[in-house]
Amino acid sequence: MLRVAIIGCGKIADAHAEQIMRVGGSSIAAVCDREPLMARQLADRFAVDGQYVDPIEMLLRSRPDVVHITTPPHSHFELASLCLEAGCHVYVEKPLTVHADETEQLVRLAAEKRRKLTVGHDDQFSHVARRMRTLVSEGYLGGPPVHMESSFCYDLGNPTYAQALLGDDDHWVRRLPGKLLHNIISHGIARIAEYLSTDCPAVFAHGHASPLLERLGETDVIDELRVLICEEGRTSAYFTFSSQMRPSVHSFVIYGSRNGLALDQDHERLIRLPGTHYKSFLDKFVPPVAFARQELSNLRANVRAFLRNDFHSKSGMKYLIEAFYRAIEQDTSEPIPYREIIVTARIMDRIFSQLRSQVSEASSVGSDASQFPGLDGRDVPPPTGAPGLAQHA
Amino acid sequence: MASEWHDDFVIQPADTVLVTGATGFVGAAVVDRLLDRGARNLRCLVRRSSDVSGLEALATGRAAGRLDLVRGNLLSPADCDVAAEGAAVIYHLATSRNGKSYPDTFLNSVVTTRNLLEAAIRAGCLRRFVNVSSLAVYTNRGKHGRRLDERCPVENEPVLRGDAYCYAKVKQDEIVHEYASQRQVACVTVRPGYVYGPGKDGISSRIGIGTFGVFLHLGGGNQIPLTYLQNCAEAIVLAGLERGIDGEVFNVVDDGLPTSRRFLRLYKRHVRRFRSIYVPHVVSYWLCYAWERYSAWSDRQLPPTFNRRHWHAYWKRTTYSNEKIKTCLGWAPPVSTSDGLRRYFEACTAGGHRA
Repeated sequence: MLRVAIIGCGKIADAHAEQIMRVGGSSIAAVCDREPLMARQLADRFAVDGQYVDPIEMLLRSRPDVVHITTPPHSHFELASLCLEAGCHVYVEKPLTVHADETEQLVRLAAEKRRKLTVGHDDQFSHVARRMRTLVSEGYLGGPPVHMESSFCYDLGNPTYAQALLGDDDHWVRRLPGKLLHNIISHGIARIAEYLSTDCPAVFAHGHASPLLERLGETDVIDELRVLICEEGRTSAYFTFSSQMRPSVHSFVIYGSRNGLALDQDHERLIRLPGTHYKSFLDKFVPPVAFARQELSNLRANVRAFLRNDFHSKSGMKYLIEAFYRAIEQDTSEPIPYREIIVTARIMDRIFSQLRSQVSEASSVGSDASQFPGLDGRDVPPPTGAPGLAQHA
Repeated sequence: MASEWHDDFVIQPADTVLVTGATGFVGAAVVDRLLDRGARNLRCLVRRSSDVSGLEALATGRAAGRLDLVRGNLLSPADCDVAAEGAAVIYHLATSRNGKSYPDTFLNSVVTTRNLLEAAIRAGCLRRFVNVSSLAVYTNRGKHGRRLDERCPVENEPVLRGDAYCYAKVKQDEIVHEYASQRQVACVTVRPGYVYGPGKDGISSRIGIGTFGVFLHLGGGNQIPLTYLQNCAEAIVLAGLERGIDGEVFNVVDDGLPTSRRFLRLYKRHVRRFRSIYVPHVVSYWLCYAWERYSAWSDRQLPPTFNRRHWHAYWKRTTYSNEKIKTCLGWAPPVSTSDGLRRYFEACTAGGHRA
C-alpha cells in the first residue's frame, strides 16, 4: 500500500484526492497546506488523519512514499526538491517548474536519488489521447509527424478561475513569468513535445491582450498566443491559445506523410484523416460516409466508457496516477518521459522570453514594433547540456 | 422605512462600521439602510477590481454620512487589519457564490472570516460581529417536524449535501462560534432565506431548475423562504445594533410567504411565459435517491449534486418561522411580500431578466 501525501490543499488538490481514492493500493496519509484551515477542510472531506502546515514536519512524521505537489507553481521546485531529498516519489501539478533549468535540476535530482518524478499533464492520458497514441505507435501516420496543430482555449468568463484572477491584483498567477499563459498552456505544449524528436526546437511566439482584457484595463495579461515550433528539416507545429475563439476548443491535429489524426478533447473524439483520395465525385461522397462511421464509433467508445464507470471528468488524471504508481512499484519507466517534460519546459521558457521582449520592444519603440520578434533572429538561445534526455517508452 | 438611531444600540452613529461584500446584492442594500438610519462613519471593504459606482451613488446626497472605500482582499491579513481598524461593528457579508469548488468556496468564506475575526481582535474595539450565513446550513431530515426555525439542527455532515456553498457556510458558522466561545468575540449570526428583489436574476432552485430547455417545477405547494432585499438588509442592520443578542442566531424570512406554485404562476403572468413541468415530490425524492446511489456506485462519475439531503433542504414541504427575529430585534418586514413580488416582477420585466 503506497502512502500518499498532498502538499497544497486548493482546488486542484481536490481532483488529486478524488482520483487517488479511486486508485487501488494507495491511501492518503497526510495533507499539508501553510493555511491550516485549508489542510483541515481537505482532511475533513477525504477522511485523512495527518494534517500539517509544515512540509518538513509532514515528511518526517508521515513518511509518505509519494507526494503530490498541488501548490502554485512558484513553490514547485523547492517543494519537489525537498520531497525527492526525503526519498519520496513526486507528482507535481503542471507546470512542473517556473523555469526550464529548474525542471532539468529536478530530473537530475530524481535520477540521483533513484526516485520517480512526473508532472500533471493528465490530458495526455484521456481515453481519446491514449487511442491516438496507440494509432501513432502502430504507424498510422506513415512515419514521423510532418506537422501538428495544438489548440488550447480558455474562456475568461469561467468563474472558477479566470474571474478569481481578474478580480485580484495580487493573484499568484500574475507573478508567473508567463502569467495566465504560464499556468495553462503546458497541456497544449506537451502534446506537441511528445511527438518532437529534437531537444531544442526553434520557437517563434507572438502574443497580445485581447480587446476584452484591454477594455478591463488588464494590459499586463496576455490571453492570445500564437506559436510556431520547428525542428530543422523535420516536424513543425502551431500552437494556439485563445480566450476569444469560439468554440473554445482543446484539440490536437497531427499529420504524417500518409495519414493524419484529429483529436477533440472536449468531446473525446478521434478522427482518422486518411491521406488517400477517391476518384472523381466519389471523393465527395465516400469520405463523408466514412467520417460519419467514425463519429458513430466515437459515440460507441464514449458510451462504453461511461457504462464501465470510467468516464469521469478527470479520468486522464486517474490513469496517469495509476501508471505513475505502477512505475514506482515495478520500477519501470515513468509514464511521461523526462525528455518530453524538459522539452515542454524549454518551449515554454522560450515563449515567455519572447513575449517579454515583445512587450519591452512595444513599450520602447511604439505599438508598431516587430509583430513577431522571434522571426528576426532574436530567439533565445537554447539551453545546453541538458541531461536525462534518453528516449523512452 | 424607519430611519432612527436608538440610544440603546450597541454603537452610536459616529462609530465606525465596517461592511464586507458591500458591492454585492445584499451588501449594497445594507449600506443603504445604515446610511438611512444615520450611520455617519461607514467603511466598505471592496476588491480592487470591484465597480464601486453603485456604492458611491448611495453616499451622494447624504451629507451626514461618510463612506470610506477600502480596497483590499479578505485573504490578506494586512488588508483585514486596515479594514478592521477602529471598527465597532462589522457586517460580514462577503462570501463566495462559486458553488462548484469546495476549496475555492471554503477559502473565500471560511479563511476570509477567520482573517477578519483575527483582525478585529487585533484592532481591539469590536463590539459586534454580524456573521451573515444562510438558511442552507439547516437540515430538516430529522424528526423535528416540518417547521424550520433557529432550533433546527445544522447539517452535521455538510459534505454529503454535495453543495460546496452549504459546506462552506456550515464551516463559517462553526468558526464564528469558535471565536465567540473561545475568544469572547461578540457575534450574531443572521441566516437569510432566498433574498430577492430588483437586480437579481432568475428563480430560486427551491422552486425548480431549468434543464434542456424545460423548467422542472419541483417546489409544488411548498412555502418558499423568500425575503425581500430591503427586509433582509433591515434585519442584518438590526442584528448589528440591538443590545443583548450576542451569540444568537436569527433566521430571516418575510411574512406571507408564497408557495412555489403561486410564485411560478405570478412570474409567468408578470414576467414571461415558459414551459414548466411539475415534478411531484415523491418523484423528485426518488430521482434524488437514484442520482445519489448512482453517484456512489459509479465512484462519482456523476457528482452527487442531487441527493436526499439536498432534497430535504430544498424540496421537502417545510414552513418557516420568523418569530424569533421579530421578538428579539423588533424586526418587521418594511416591504410586504405582495409589494416585494410586484417590484421584483416589474424589475424583471424592465430588465429582461430570465429564469
